[in-house]
Formats: sequence, structure tokens, C-alpha cells
Amino acid sequence: MDLSKLKKRPAYPFETIAVAVSFSPRCLPVLAEAKHISDALNAALLLIHIGEKTSEKEQLLDELMNKAGMDDSRYRVIWMEGEPVETILKLCKLNIVDLLILGALEKENVLKFYLGSIARTISRRAKCSVLLLTNPMEEPRRYKKIVVNGVENPKTIHTINTAFYFAKHLKSKDVVIVNEINVPGLAMAIADQSTIPEAKEIKKLLDDEIQETIQTIIGQCDIGDINLNSKSIKGKPGYAIRKYAKDRRADLLVINSPDTQLNFLDRIFTHDIEYILAHLPCNLLIVHSRV
Amino acid sequence: MVKLVHNDIIVLLASMGGILILARIFAELGKKIKMPIVMGEILLGIILGPTVFGSLFPDACAAILPKTGAVKIAMDGITSLSVVMLLFVAGMEVQLQVMLKQGKTAVYTSFTSMIIPFILGFAAVWFFPGFFVFTPDRRLVYALFFGIAMAVSALPVIIRIMMDLNLFKTKVGMVIIAAAIFDDLTGWIMFSFVLSLMGQEGEITSVWFTIGMILGFGLFMLIIGRYAINKALPWIQKNLSWPGGVLSISLGLCFLSAAFTEYIGLHAILGAFIVGIALGDSVHLQEREREIIHQFVTNVFAPLFFVSLGFKVNFIENFDWQLVLLVFFLAVGCKVFGASLGGYLGGLTKRESLAVGFGLNARGAMEIILGTLALNAGLIDSKMFVALVVMALITSMISGPLMKRFID
Repeated sequence: MDLSKLKKRPAYPFETIAVAVSFSPRCLPVLAEAKHISDALNAALLLIHIGEKTSEKEQLLDELMNKAGMDDSRYRVIWMEGEPVETILKLCKLNIVDLLILGALEKENVLKFYLGSIARTISRRAKCSVLLLTNPMEEPRRYKKIVVNGVENPKTIHTINTAFYFAKHLKSKDVVIVNEINVPGLAMAIADQSTIPEAKEIKKLLDDEIQETIQTIIGQCDIGDINLNSKSIKGKPGYAIRKYAKDRRADLLVINSPDTQLNFLDRIFTHDIEYILAHLPCNLLIVHSRV
Repeated sequence: MVKLVHNDIIVLLASMGGILILARIFAELGKKIKMPIVMGEILLGIILGPTVFGSLFPDACAAILPKTGAVKIAMDGITSLSVVMLLFVAGMEVQLQVMLKQGKTAVYTSFTSMIIPFILGFAAVWFFPGFFVFTPDRRLVYALFFGIAMAVSALPVIIRIMMDLNLFKTKVGMVIIAAAIFDDLTGWIMFSFVLSLMGQEGEITSVWFTIGMILGFGLFMLIIGRYAINKALPWIQKNLSWPGGVLSISLGLCFLSAAFTEYIGLHAILGAFIVGIALGDSVHLQEREREIIHQFVTNVFAPLFFVSLGFKVNFIENFDWQLVLLVFFLAVGCKVFGASLGGYLGGLTKRESLAVGFGLNARGAMEIILGTLALNAGLIDSKMFVALVVMALITSMISGPLMKRFID
């Protein structure tokens, strides 16, 4: 494999998609969703199972693939033994996977969350985009409402474009770009020396700046016939958008991949993506833009 | 037992009423000429206190603001409450995550803007003790205090400057905010350590015990306490009157925590500051609730506290221009150099680094609170207190204009 192909590889199109196979009760719905997405995006699909290859498992996987309608050469199965997280990450890299699909619980128990479940650990560390499916269906539904995080970051333009690409191919209609406003110390500074009109003006200015930034980004994107909205919300980054996606019953939340290597401390002093991973509001697409 | 009699109650209430109204008038007048609110309040205290009114009409001044007796004790109680609440709201704005996620530039700037002024301030006292006044057995504590006094920043003043210069969303703005948060956090923890050390110099066991207590209390509150507050807040908001429920439970926790740290031998400010961080970090604390707590403390208790500073000392008698100049230039030099160096090493341009340095140079109310607590604890004399207040006020006023010069 030529690993140099990974460098500067654009966030989309998703040419190779991988799905982790765990033989859990949700395995079939996850496979069905993965097939639906790979068909819509015209991508090759890899099925990865980490564990011993036995004839029983092979037979079971054949049955599941048949039920999910995977019956041609576009679907390849990789069996490998090893530590699940490391092995999956390594396989994604070797196979130049653009999108890794995993089934995930909306909420892990506290201990598992802090210690790190497989799906969440992969989400923090993957060098490709990751789609966490919280409620996969054997008859995949449309991703009607998509919420995208429009945070000010060089990666965001790629994330928004990837969300549009995904939305167009999966026939989504509504996309909302959301930006969170959180300025530490603002309440204190306003309380100190602002009249009501001044305080309103300061808040309006912040809101306008964010809207301007979002509009600039949107201006560079190919929207097509998608119904696009933008919104700024107040609150802690990560938590505010999680709540927004949950309240609006979004089908998919799209965010940037983490900027730094996340560790245990980031879960203790929760911030940004960790708020979302702590309690997934809906399916989550983490876009790794490799910039 | 000292008791408030009929006349005392009248004097106390009239003084508080007069202070609050006059402080507001001074603050609003000061605002017109771009003067920080705190400066107007301190100026009023200087006029009403021994510096002006007390010199001209000593009897009248003593009748309105008695130096002994029940009214004095009551006023001292109110100012102690005020400082605890001020530290509580300062803690509410400390967001550790902001610092964690700003990356290399913020980490470098936070570290150097704290450590370089601290080391230089400490070294100034340690190697040139002749410039400072302290009892010989308190050299270490005094040096530690002076190092911290050189290192603190004032987040509210800095945020105000960011607002005026519209720098919130810029890299420079975010680096300054992250570093100010770090300086606040480390500065107040170190200062409560210094206050706890007073009277136990040389007792190594006590020093380690104090460090252990600070770390233990801090970690407990920031992990378990923070988690518990975050879980309890939605219940409080749903089941108790709003915003009264949140307000009374928040301040109740603040006082309990302050009482606990005072009880275990640490200073009350540490308890208030740390519980402020734990509450302010909660994702459930609504913006409106945060604003109400700030408004309550900033507009009722802060003026009482800052005006009362003027009653403590005669600012003219204790104005030692050599000490004022020394403290001012040392404070500005250390902070601007330390913060700019961090910014530059973290990848900012020279101009951006200097903007960061001058931005973090604003000391504001935080420095004044620090000086007051040290004066009350008998660690510094009135001359050093006046020098610190003057330095805090001037740095707050010059930070914005100087920063502007380096912002393209």
C-alpha cells in the first residue's frame, strides 16, 4: 500500500468505506446502513472483523451479508486478530479508508466512558472520517435533518463541504450550520460596566460576526438544492450543539475531528467533542480533513 | 459583647446607602472618560476616607465611618463577604478547557506570563530586600507574595479591552484570555498557599500539609464537587424558584466552601474561588443565571469593597513615589516581557507577541483584592498597598491603548 496517498487526501469523496463487524445483535442493521451509504456514495465497502476466523463466524457473516444485500465484489471482508482499536486503525490506514462506520450506544456507562469504549476511542484517534451509528435500521432511513458544526477552524470548510456531499448523495433536504458562542468572562465584563443597550450591542456584534463567518464559508460551498440554514447558539462548545441536535431531532450531527490528541483528562474536564461522545444525540459523522 | 445599638444601625445603613449611590455616580462619571469602574470606586473611598474628608473633618469622618466599635466590625464583615463573593465570581469565569484547547501558543504564553513575573518579583525581594519593608522572619512569604503580585492578571479588565478592540475571535484575543485564566487560577491558588504559610515559616511539615490540603481540596472540588453541582443544577432549576433557587444555592455553596477552607487552615478565598470554578463549569448554568450572579456581586458588594479600601489608609501620606515607580516598572516589565516571550516562542509575530504582553499587563481589581488581603493579613505595609493599587489602576488604563498600537 502506498501510504503517501493518505497525505493531503481530501476529506471527500469517500472512495473506500469500512465497517466494523462485531457479531452483536446490531450487526445486521449496521451492515445494512453501511451498504446503503456505500451504494449511495458509490464507494467500495470493507468489512473488518477483529477476532479469530472460524467457520461458524464465516457462515454467520455470509448470512448477515446476504440479508443486508451484499452480494457482489464491491464488498470485501478482512479478518484479523489483535487489539481491536489499534488493529482497526492500522487496517484503515493500510487500506486508505476514507470513512469508518461503527455502531455505538447513545450513552456508555460512566466507567466505560472514562476508560474508553472501542467506538469512542477510535473516534478520538482515527486518521479517517468516522460515522457512529446510534440507531441503525435494517431498512435504512433517510438522513433528513443534518446539523453541522460551523466552529471557526481551518478544518470547518472541509467539514461543511463533506456534509453537503453526504447530504446530496443521501438525498437529505435540511442542513443547519450551527456555531456556538462562548466567551469566558463576558458576563463579568458586561456586569461591570455596560448599560442594557450596550450589553445587547455587544451580544449582537458577536452574533453578527459569527453569521458573517458562516456566510463566507457557505459562499465557497456547492449547496445544490439543499435547504440550508445557519444558527448561532450560546453555550459551551460541544454541549450546546449536542443539545441543539437532540432538541431538533437531527438525524446526523457533523463535526470536525479533534485538533489534539485527546486523553483521560479531556474526559474529566469535558470539552468540545467529549461532550458529544459522552452522550450521542444522534448519528455522528466526525470529518477528518487531513489539513 | 459588642452589639449594634439604634444609632449604630442608622450609621451603618446610611453609610452603606451613601456609598452605593455615590459609588455609582463616580463610576458612571469615570466611564465617560474611559476610566475603569473600580477606579471611580477607589477614588470615592480616597475622598471619603482619611486621605481627604478625614483630614479636613476628622470628627465628622469618625462619626460616619467609625474606626472602632460595632459599626466598624459590621463593615469589616461586609467587606470580608464581598471579597469572598468577588473571588467566587472570578472563579466562575475560569474555564480550564479554554486553555487546554488553545494549543501551543496559549500554553507557552500562560506559562511564561505567570512564571517569569513570579520569579523576577520573588528575586527582587530576595536579592534586594532593602527596597521593601517586611519583618525579617517573613522574607520568604513576602517574596512569594510579591512574585504573585507581579504575576496576576485581571480577566474582567482584559475581556473589556477585547470587547473595545473587537479581538474576541482573533488568535491574539484567545491566547490572552486563555493565559489570563491560567494566571488567575495559579495566582489565587498560590496566594492562598502564601496566606496559609503565614505564621508557620520554617515548619516543613506544616508547609507540606498545607500544599496537600490545597491540592486535595482543589482536586476534590474540581472533580467530585464539579460533577455533583453539574448533576444537581437541573433539579434546582426545575424544582426551586427561578432565579432565586440557583442564586441562593450558589452563594450558599460559596460561603460553605469558603468556611470549610478557612476552617482547615487555608484562606476562605480559596474555597470561594474553587467552588466558583466548579459552578461556572456546569453546562447547565444558564447565561442569564450567570449574569444575575455577576450583577448581584459586581454592583452591590464590589462597590462596598472597593470604596472601603480608601478608608484603610491615607493615600497621600503613604504615597512613596520611589516605591510606586519601582512596583509599577517592575510589574509592567516582568509581565510584558514574560507574556510576549511566551507568545513569540509559541509562534506569534513580534507585534502580536507585544500585543499579548500589554493585554495581559492589566491587573485591575484582582491585584487590588490581592493587596487588600495581604494588608489585612499584616504581610505588607500601607505604602506597598498604595503602590500596588496605583500600579493596578494605571496598568488597567494603559493596557488597551498600548495593545492597540500593536494590533494591525
